[in-house]
Amino acid sequence: MKEKVSQLMDGELAGEDVACVFAALKSDREAIEAWRTYHLISDSLRDTRLLSRGFTERVAARLAEEPTVLAPARWTRAVRRLPRIAAGAVSVVAAVAFVGWAVTVLREPGSAAQVAQSPKPAPMATAVPPPQEAGKEPVRAALPEGARDYLLAHQGYAPRYALQGYARTVSDIAGGRR
Amino acid sequence: MRSALGVCLALALGAPALAQPPEDAFALLRRIYQATEKLSYTGTFVTQQGDRVESSRITRYAGPGGEVERIEVLDGTPREVVRTRDTIKCYLPERRTVKVEKRVDPRAFPALLPETFADLLRNYAVSRGESARIAGYDCESVVLTPRDELRYGYQLWADTASGMLLRARTFNAKGETVEQFTFTQLVIGPVPREKLRPRHSVRDWRIEYATVAPVRLEEQGWRFAAELPGFRKIAEVARRIGESAAVNQVVYSDGMAALSVFIEPASRRAERVRPGLASVGAVHIYTREVADHVVTVVGEAPAASVQRLGNTVEYHRPGR
Repeated sequence: MKEKVSQLMDGELAGEDVACVFAALKSDREAIEAWRTYHLISDSLRDTRLLSRGFTERVAARLAEEPTVLAPARWTRAVRRLPRIAAGAVSVVAAVAFVGWAVTVLREPGSAAQVAQSPKPAPMATAVPPPQEAGKEPVRAALPEGARDYLLAHQGYAPRYALQGYARTVSDIAGGRR
Repeated sequence: MRSALGVCLALALGAPALAQPPEDAFALLRRIYQATEKLSYTGTFVTQQGDRVESSRITRYAGPGGEVERIEVLDGTPREVVRTRDTIKCYLPERRTVKVEKRVDPRAFPALLPETFADLLRNYAVSRGESARIAGYDCESVVLTPRDELRYGYQLWADTASGMLLRARTFNAKGETVEQFTFTQLVIGPVPREKLRPRHSVRDWRIEYATVAPVRLEEQGWRFAAELPGFRKIAEVARRIGESAAVNQVVYSDGMAALSVFIEPASRRAERVRPGLASVGAVHIYTREVADHVVTVVGEAPAASVQRLGNTVEYHRPGR
């Protein structure tokens, strides 16, 4: 499992293997430990600044304030959103399941100090390889920044909205820019 | 009358090879468009996009002094939209922000235009679908089956008596529903104007104006290497998106679906642009970078169409 975690961080895993490692990271202590250690190593190699005290709590609190999204976006997409959450651009319209997962990971057992020093989630963005959809479809990405604004701008011109109104214009999907 | 319409249509199309839709199916489609323009009503509808569901309340007034439509989203983050013939206001109370968009060209507003119908019939086969009872109304339906894989299909259900659209379903090549909206409650008839007033007083709110001005992208060096079959350019404007400076927007339509191509300088982005494809229900959003610009294609069409259009965008240094 350690090796798989390492592969995941290097972006060498795909598909089911990714899901498998994430599942392990929920409960497998060895995997969790490896995850933390590897990130700590990579952070120190890159001379990344450690996170400030209380970072975890603040992220958790901000996540809790986010509106609940009933129908989750694709899981893979949600994972790719994480860096923006970490960056403080808390515009989370991510899977509830994922939020639960993130919060769980961030709160995993260990002293507060240890958690505070735990790797910031950002490196995960590079760690997660863009999952390939079955077939010919290109890389699935997160909704771009300001997707709501694009939709709003677009829908004024779509003939079908003459028929059904602007329901989607105001759709909650991307939360827009905050 | 109907046959006259058919003749006009054939002339407009200039393509006798195209199968004519059954007259009653086409007539129903026409009635739906007309009802959308002239009816006043208030009701609640549910939209389903992919795996998310959301209900909204809509009130529409049509009469002397123009048309006003107000939609309040009832689930999740509170949002409200008030639309008149030339303005769209989107209220976001949690952000204390109202987005205002004014149209420079009312003709660009989606409406019943002869060329819209001609486009539509060129790209979709129109036929009658099964009837259904929806929100207490007996409805007839019309099916728009795409003639190729570049677009989705649609089924529309309308009240037999008034032509009011009660349900719309967007389906993919496999016949699976990708998006759907349906009224759960509806009262057709006069609506007092005060019901159209937005719930929020926007004092102290931030107002984001989106000014839209016509532009010629070709003069700036932008080109589309190939056309997307069946889609015609219907608008080409410079506008503001959110808080950004001017963004170029080109809109293509096939009479039913539309695709917008947004082009803006990449330097404005704080983060590097991640190329890729995202989707919400029937809408796909494709992003890529071209000549230090971000190209974003948004459209209610299959992924392949949205991507294909995005990939035709080219930049050639203008002048010389």
